[in-house]
Amino acid sequence: MKNIMAFASFFLKEIVRGGRTYYAWLVCLGLLIAIGVAGYLEQSVHGHIVSNMRDPVPWGLFIGTYAFLVGVAAAAMALAVPGYVYNWKPIKDIVVLGEIIAISAVIMAILFIMADLGRPERFWHLLPFLGKPNIPYSMIAMNVMVLNGYLVLNVVLVFYFLYCSYADRPYNRAFFMALMLFSIPAAISIHTTTAFIFNVLPARPYWNSAILVPRFIATALCAGPALMILAFQVLRKAANINIRDEALVKIAEITAIVLFVNLLLFFAEVVTEFRSATAHTVHMQFYFTGIGDDVGLAGWAWFGATCNVLAFLLLLIPRTRKYPVTMNLGCVLVFIGVFIEKGIGLVLPGFTPGSLGEIYEYFPSRVEAMIAIGIAGVGVLVFTLLSKAAIRLTFSEPLEEDGHLQVEGSPKGAYRPDPVRP
Amino acid sequence: MQPRRPELKYAAPREQRSAWPLLVIVLLAVSLLGADSWWRPSNSDEGYPSRPLQSESEPVLSPPPPIDEEYFPCSDCHEDELADPERRELDEHDYIKLAHGDLWCLDCHQSDQRDLLHLSDASPVRMEESWRLCTRCHAKRIPDWRAGVHGKRTGYWRGPKQYRTCVVCHDPHSPLFKPLEPMPPPIPAGDLRASSREEEEVPHAEQ
Amino acid sequence: MPNSERKARSTSRRQFLKAAGAGVGTLAGVPGAAQAFDLAEFFQAHFRELSREELEGVIQRLERKYSEKFGKAVTVDAVGPNDGVLFGYGLDLSRCIGCRRCVYACVEENNQSREPQIHWIRVLEFDRQDVIRGIDFEDGNPFYDHEEVPAEGKVYLPVACQQCENPECVKACPTTATWMEPDGIVVIDYNWCIGCRYCMAACPYGARHFNWTEPEIPADELNPNTHYLGNLPREHGVVEKCSFCIQRTRHGRYPACVEACPVGARKFGNLLDPDSEIRYLMDHKRTFVLKAELDAKPKFFYFYG
Repeated sequence: MKNIMAFASFFLKEIVRGGRTYYAWLVCLGLLIAIGVAGYLEQSVHGHIVSNMRDPVPWGLFIGTYAFLVGVAAAAMALAVPGYVYNWKPIKDIVVLGEIIAISAVIMAILFIMADLGRPERFWHLLPFLGKPNIPYSMIAMNVMVLNGYLVLNVVLVFYFLYCSYADRPYNRAFFMALMLFSIPAAISIHTTTAFIFNVLPARPYWNSAILVPRFIATALCAGPALMILAFQVLRKAANINIRDEALVKIAEITAIVLFVNLLLFFAEVVTEFRSATAHTVHMQFYFTGIGDDVGLAGWAWFGATCNVLAFLLLLIPRTRKYPVTMNLGCVLVFIGVFIEKGIGLVLPGFTPGSLGEIYEYFPSRVEAMIAIGIAGVGVLVFTLLSKAAIRLTFSEPLEEDGHLQVEGSPKGAYRPDPVRP
Repeated sequence: MQPRRPELKYAAPREQRSAWPLLVIVLLAVSLLGADSWWRPSNSDEGYPSRPLQSESEPVLSPPPPIDEEYFPCSDCHEDELADPERRELDEHDYIKLAHGDLWCLDCHQSDQRDLLHLSDASPVRMEESWRLCTRCHAKRIPDWRAGVHGKRTGYWRGPKQYRTCVVCHDPHSPLFKPLEPMPPPIPAGDLRASSREEEEVPHAEQ
Repeated sequence: MPNSERKARSTSRRQFLKAAGAGVGTLAGVPGAAQAFDLAEFFQAHFRELSREELEGVIQRLERKYSEKFGKAVTVDAVGPNDGVLFGYGLDLSRCIGCRRCVYACVEENNQSREPQIHWIRVLEFDRQDVIRGIDFEDGNPFYDHEEVPAEGKVYLPVACQQCENPECVKACPTTATWMEPDGIVVIDYNWCIGCRYCMAACPYGARHFNWTEPEIPADELNPNTHYLGNLPREHGVVEKCSFCIQRTRHGRYPACVEACPVGARKFGNLLDPDSEIRYLMDHKRTFVLKAELDAKPKFFYFYG
């Protein structure tokens, strides 16, 4: 028990300790969060009418981003598989950081749902025992259960790992490996239930297809690792730690393969829809070409698809995958492409045209954007704080007096990442 | 306390077997059991107040609308003399626009006792029972009208209810329904706002 | 799970909620009738789990609240379903002229928000040519504004909640805030709904409407005879929809739209009574339902009389 208290105080001390850059970063995040709080207050006072969601399109930015973020969270397991199932050391070192991304993403996802609810103070109606959750029929209820379970799982994994690091204790292999391996089907299940939220509704033919489930998993396993590659490079620079390039390139390779699957499924959807040309095709038409005078979302659709294709090429070709500039460009493109595909390209065409044929063109309002910015700030803050402590515990050597970390084997204060060889 | 590298030692299997996994599983199971909506929603057996419905009731036929006192009873002006059977435009009753198929006045109104109508076999029909005349030609309407499917019903679906005689809705001289002015259309979703009592104008999307 | 166990657990849950409410109330030191945050309202259990006394307490609280808010005596009914009753609705498409009197009768009867506007019934106008091969909803126009109806060459299709026998919205709701009553009406517990709008995504008929902000009803237009599951005045952040005028129909009366229709196009009755109007039209007319392929089994039957 005393050890746990010491660990907690070490953790808290580590979070608040830092240089000027660190504090500047925290202040920036604080500003973003303040914007979000202001937006949320405005929404609390006036109600959701300050958003642009209306009866024909009852879901918008919040739910689209929620679906996207659950995917990002699920992708933490993209590291767990090569790291622990295949026991590959370069990735094993960074699995904990992947789980921290997962935790941040799940927290953001939960915040987006809370921001979207008309009566967020009644969230306890969803809890088992206290409330009356409609399981197993309601996919939102199932998703909430599974998502919270996944959050608990990742929190337990991360903090158990960090505590064992801190206390210089060997971790219980059976317990740890059981949870780590369990996190793989858990990650699949959170995103499968998210896909089920959409595809079990016969009222929305654009979504009502089994292919939505593998599409969700595929897009998740593209966007998540891409984010990780970018985030780890930032961490590597900011905290001077050794994350091996071969690890990053391997993650990029996985991303390329999954992106191929994603493009294939996307191609299958498009061909099926336009060749069958039933009344339901109008939704995809709205997305790609617009209907009648309405240009619809055509610009976004083509931009997103182009991003995905370009990203695929960049990450597939070994020369561009290994060269950092093009690798990073590929990651940014796939992140944007998947966000468009899942955020804009999933929710909006599903509702346009509506059940009784009405067309309502939705675009996020100022308040929705403010709240989204704030929640993004919270997510990045959670990631910053947790990874600060985690890096200190898992990557560092004894501190030098001047506060710089020293990595074993490299000259003092002169650590540089391995150059990438083409 | 020195922070550690990621390579940790594994514990010997026997010594540190933990009860945590079992505890987690038990907690999950308990929480799932607490969710008692595994079956389709059904009425709680606590029940809430129920009041018995009224007994079934014979529908009441509403009376025909009153005819303008200036013209009814017809016998005030018309004695029992027989009317001129020739089809023509009547000057006195020119306010009536007759547009009922190929009919003219005496096809329905009795030519001697003007307060009555008549069937095709000349048997008299009182004004209050004018439906007997209507259904001679429009017999197909009778079962639907008796059942309540043709025409409007008000009141109680179980209890006292009213249905209407033909002339309440259909003007016998010009039975085709006149068009009505529709009530206002709904406001499109893009133009929906909160009430003007709020100071700031809430933003809305382009429709 | 046996009923006794369920009752026992829901009893213990209610006791917990009561204790929690009392505990928090003491801590917060809420004086008198706090308008801003009502603890009894916050901790209110699901409608179907309320005991008789709790239900009476809830009704009294709501009557007091809305009577104060609107300045007239509001009654909240909670009458249950009658045995042997399953409601059905018929709509004669050969008669509807699109006058929208049903829409506004419904608005008045069921206390829908005037600003922002909520209509439970939506009348779609179709070109006669467009419905030859069946109804494609994209051809429907709810915003028609002619001087007179019916307009030349147009037909009219009013749509509201279809009160499905296999309701998608009930399956979708994550908190069981909406369910189908034994007499067939799909109802919403407005004090349990969390406003996630999943039911709106699930409904194939666009029948559910959300209170995007606090609804506004002029006090003189309020209908004070309300039912908890029907026309109880709603608040911001909850979903609402047609409830077959539950405050009228459970006492045997016709819904407001049936009585308002000037051409007698609307029919209502008990599907389990072979002598009812609704059964007559099902036997003698050819009825159809909207989006039958979705197998939602609506109890709202369209026909040509």
